Amino acid sequence: MNNMEFFDKVMSVQKAGKKAAVATVIRTKGSTPRSTGAKMLIFSNGDIYGTIGGGCGEGEVIEKSFMVIEKGRACQHQVDLTKGIMYEDGGICGGIMDVFIEPI
Amino acid sequence: MSRQLYERFSEAIQEQKDVALITITRHTDKALLGTSLLLEKDGTLYDEYQLPSELQSEIIKCSLPLLEVRRTKTIEIQYKETKVECFIEVFQAPPHLIVAGAGHVSEPVAEMGKMLGFYVTVIDDREQFANRERFPYVDKVVCAPYIDFFRHVPITSETYILLLTRGHQFDVVSLQELLRREEEMEPEERTKYIGMIGSRRRISGVFEQLKTEFTDHNFTNIYSPVGLDVGAQTPAEIAISILAEILKVKHTATGNSLKEKISSYSQLKFRERVRK
Repeated sequence: MNNMEFFDKVMSVQKAGKKAAVATVIRTKGSTPRSTGAKMLIFSNGDIYGTIGGGCGEGEVIEKSFMVIEKGRACQHQVDLTKGIMYEDGGICGGIMDVFIEPI
Repeated sequence: MSRQLYERFSEAIQEQKDVALITITRHTDKALLGTSLLLEKDGTLYDEYQLPSELQSEIIKCSLPLLEVRRTKTIEIQYKETKVECFIEVFQAPPHLIVAGAGHVSEPVAEMGKMLGFYVTVIDDREQFANRERFPYVDKVVCAPYIDFFRHVPITSETYILLLTRGHQFDVVSLQELLRREEEMEPEERTKYIGMIGSRRRISGVFEQLKTEFTDHNFTNIYSPVGLDVGAQTPAEIAISILAEILKVKHTATGNSLKEKISSYSQLKFRERVRK
């Protein structure tokens, strides 16, 4: 996905007055599914646009995003993918990523 | 991000300028989290929040070198007694893909080029080929004689050129014009990729001539015949093969199968990381 497209989408969501949050990977360590700068838009009903890597880690970020949307305040969340291999969550990457989540 | 900031941002990208989007990701004043600023290469900072000027200049000082080398990174800035964490995200103007010749192969090449994020220009000297109906997705369609186009089109190290015209002679005159211009440039300013379609036999004749004509050019950025060897036959397959080669050059990668990095699956070992 082209980055400009993502911001276009954010602007149209803002314009429509919908509540949502943007999650951005701001730091990575080791092997992670997406690199720094990957972005995802999360709506209050759980719909998403874009991905920061899928799986359980993304699930955690979506959960956190609901809080961010509700409180209207940004936060950081660390996704740890170093635990285990081929577990059900598919967290087989083996890295850590910091995600910044902000309301829009 | 506010509407005004977004407009500044998209304008800069359209003008093919590199910019850095700066977001405050950690600050003792929680209300400032998510504050975003825009920095241009000349040091202009667009700040709607009116941050204190010392913090502004500190941000500029730390971000400009990253923008210069096009590196996205999270950094910590010391401001008075506190530390401010900023995510500096660099957005580059898209690389330019020029497709000379608007034939069957050019269609999928141009379309896939767009998918890969290139700014795509298609040029042909025939109006019935160089038109918007045939290339609705590309950024620019030019109908002009090849030699005139290549005499004036801006070329940088971020320009990728494909010579896929209907006649080998047009490819060759275009290439000659490009080589002539590149000889005047420093090697690192030259394009990284000029691909020219053609059989081995044809190419050997061309280079026989070119090497006497251009003695100050090492031809390292010339790729002819074009494409990686994936057995491409159809226009779409050829487009994949050409663009895979362009990506390989753009990313200075090997173009080999990734599995070649692994000598044998049976010898692979996975070690559980021990957490303290």
